[in-house]
Amino acid sequence: MTATATPEAEKTPLFGDEEKRVVLDPLWDNNPISTQMLGICSALAVTTGLKVSIVMGISVICVMAMANVAISLLRNMIPSKIRIVVQLVVVSGAVIIVDQVLKAYAFDLSKQLGVFISLIITNCIVMGRLEAFAMGNPPWRSLLDGISNGLGYAWVICLVGAVREVFGGGKLMGVQVIPDSLYEAGYVNNGLMVLAPGAFLLLGVIVWVQRAISGKVEE
Amino acid sequence: MNTNSNSYVMVFAVGMCVTVGSVLASLNTVLKETQAAAAEFDRRKNVMIAAGLIARDTDKSREDLERVFEERVVEVTVDTATGQVVEDEEEADRLRDGDPLQYRKVGTAKNDAGVVDTIILPVSGKGLWSTIYGYIALKSDKKEVRGITFYKHGETPGLGGEVENPEWTAKWAGKLIRDANDALVGIIVKKGEVDPGVEAEKKHYVDGLAGATITCNGVTAFIKRDLTTFDKYLSQN
Repeated sequence: MTATATPEAEKTPLFGDEEKRVVLDPLWDNNPISTQMLGICSALAVTTGLKVSIVMGISVICVMAMANVAISLLRNMIPSKIRIVVQLVVVSGAVIIVDQVLKAYAFDLSKQLGVFISLIITNCIVMGRLEAFAMGNPPWRSLLDGISNGLGYAWVICLVGAVREVFGGGKLMGVQVIPDSLYEAGYVNNGLMVLAPGAFLLLGVIVWVQRAISGKVEE
Repeated sequence: MNTNSNSYVMVFAVGMCVTVGSVLASLNTVLKETQAAAAEFDRRKNVMIAAGLIARDTDKSREDLERVFEERVVEVTVDTATGQVVEDEEEADRLRDGDPLQYRKVGTAKNDAGVVDTIILPVSGKGLWSTIYGYIALKSDKKEVRGITFYKHGETPGLGGEVENPEWTAKWAGKLIRDANDALVGIIVKKGEVDPGVEAEKKHYVDGLAGATITCNGVTAFIKRDLTTFDKYLSQN
């Protein structure tokens, strides 16, 4: 995913070094899930398959982009006394928009994701970026920050979702990938991968690998 | 401008609520019809799943599924007080709007040979947090369960939410809603696992869902209640 983001960043004149850092940081060095350990709850719950993970990822990206831009535009007008409430109203609004659109155009997926779409409101990544970034940066950068943090979240849950679906059900995107001959030879699907603890262990491994490569150490 | 004066905070808060409120209200108005159509399609799909006409994870397109529904399923309105079918459709819609508990939509489905061999009854009732909606399909003997599906609920995901787990609903097929004396016993969701050594359990019980006792008790209760409601209809048709 880093590979696809880089060339784009160099083409547009709107992208300075600062913008590049805003885009790339959340994808790897400062990944919301594996580095900041935010949004773990939904990462464990919705990652039963790749398809739901992708939809959840896209939903979070949309919510973060909308909320970040809205808060950034309002940042000089928001009274500091009620800024958290205002952020919540904006996030809730964005989440309801995503939820309503899913209900209209992807009813099955919206049913599968169920309560977790509404729970994007409580996803710490969203509030965290609004408070830490959008309140102090112009709209364009905030948009990039929102999308990029959403992507950072999305690639991790998609990876977890893909591994769980392949080893838990022998399928990927609902299509069987593990050949019947292997099952006949005695291979069985791993039941743990279907359950939340499987996601928990898997996420632990991803965090470990990611931190080993990026060299991040907890202080 | 002093953004921290009380009057500014008040005006800002009200403005914020009005703006967000109107955006959401207009979005809802725009999407309402599409959402209703999607929900109705989902309902029809579940009627067909209960009747065993399509697989739960079918990859057929929406048009294909709508066509299967048109060809194979007939839905009628039943007056549960008398067990009679209300023939006039406009009258049926009006009656159902007036008393949705007495007048209910019942489906019948044809098999591959074109013979009606399945009755699909709507079932719904309280679980732990929410009302659970589903369909139970009976074979033409009106005793044996062909299939069941729960398609709308607000139970805890992973616990009570498992009512929609296909592996669990598959256990309902082949169970009997009546005992040897033809008395209505319904299907009982047991706490724990069914003991295959006990004849009554083998026939009328299904395994409970771990961590979802109250949801399961709710399912047992409303299945029995709704089957009782449809008893007159079942005995006449």
